Amino acid sequence: MDIVNSSVAGTLESGDLLVKVSPSEDGTITVHIESEVIKQFGRRIRSTVMETIEALSISAATVVVADKGALDCVVRARVQAALLRGAGAKDLNWQVL
Amino acid sequence: MISDDPPGFDLDAHIDLDFNTVDSTELPEVEAEITLLLHENGLELDKQIDNFVVCRDDGRLVGCAGFDRYVIKDVAVAPGLHGNAVSLRLGSAVTKLAADHGYHDLFLYCRPDNVQRFRGWAFHPLVEIPGVIALMENNPVALPKYLEKLSREHHPGKTIGGVVLNANPFTLGHRFLVEKAANDCDWLHVFVVKEEAAQFSYADRFRLVVEGVADIGNVTVHHGSKYIISRATFPGYFLKEKAKIESSFTGLDLLMFRERIAPALGINRRYVGTEPLDATTNSYNASMKYWLADAPSTAAPIATVMIERLAVGGAPVSASKVRALLDERDFSAIKRLVPSTTLAFLKPQAIPAGDRKQGDW
Repeated sequence: MDIVNSSVAGTLESGDLLVKVSPSEDGTITVHIESEVIKQFGRRIRSTVMETIEALSISAATVVVADKGALDCVVRARVQAALLRGAGAKDLNWQVL
Repeated sequence: MISDDPPGFDLDAHIDLDFNTVDSTELPEVEAEITLLLHENGLELDKQIDNFVVCRDDGRLVGCAGFDRYVIKDVAVAPGLHGNAVSLRLGSAVTKLAADHGYHDLFLYCRPDNVQRFRGWAFHPLVEIPGVIALMENNPVALPKYLEKLSREHHPGKTIGGVVLNANPFTLGHRFLVEKAANDCDWLHVFVVKEEAAQFSYADRFRLVVEGVADIGNVTVHHGSKYIISRATFPGYFLKEKAKIESSFTGLDLLMFRERIAPALGINRRYVGTEPLDATTNSYNASMKYWLADAPSTAAPIATVMIERLAVGGAPVSASKVRALLDERDFSAIKRLVPSTTLAFLKPQAIPAGDRKQGDW
């Protein structure tokens, strides 16, 4: 899937995260993560974000995450939602998600 | 995962907040209420706002945030509700509303003592005038990428110049300024204002600058960005009534240039033409020396070099004069003010003045 639009998903409230996705200018994946718990969970959040990107076969995107202490499943859901919106996806293969 | 506030638990959860959008036609109905809330937060109502997000608790206005397209300003929360719940929900609403309008990369103005609060909105500080105003943005990767792109055009030398042009359209006056500056420098970097508020499109303006200076060897023409004279860094430039310009806004744009843009290219001189006609540009130029060199800043000072504007037949050459002549379709007069590349572009553009949309300049 290709990211063709900018999109957002999520909120800034505690236990949630805000994800912004935009098309990549240089054809690479750029992931930027901020979190109030970056020291404890930064690596874990990053790997969850990367797994979600890979599961959707996205090869180029800019993904900016502002995490407010979200659980892994919430991170996954918000990143998915932002990516699918950014890809303008209609026919979803829910099994790979 | 452990955090202080487990998901779903919120001390302020009992507050039942309603979020609504108020556009400029509806603003008069709530203007008094918004103004009062802003005053309680030490802010004034900014005239250059298209939409407000307002937040109500049981009918009472407890929060607001204004939009000028992708720029957020006049953010206020009722005293006593400065806890995170109202502010963060307002931040989410602002982000969502902006996205609905197609704006994802946002800028925000605030008082410097509130920078920390807006970090919670996922905004990052770009530049600030201590005690007066701070500019933030919510895309942490955009500026580093832009600067990285610029730095690939870095040229060695002792005197590296910078010029910022709107070039609406490119005239012999611009050409004269670039030529003089390039003569004076080892290398000259020219930036074209990117904001689409001018009569001619950015793509056309950019192309005419590139064509107009193509024969000068030591010049690079760069794409502008939201970090150089844009609605974000210098909103006054895009105001209709241009008489009253906040000097703090010119300060933000110039500090941004000094602290962020110039170091990427090693620019140590900024060239500018004298401005006898346009009040906004004139006040911008006048404050340039202060902000680029004298104002306190962590960045090295940049010298401002004023170059007397080219005059033809006793009158200064200006783009606004060219636009006025274009309305009259006076091509023999235009020919004396623009290079052949601009003239070739303008000829098919001539449309009767009455048919043109008013408001652009």
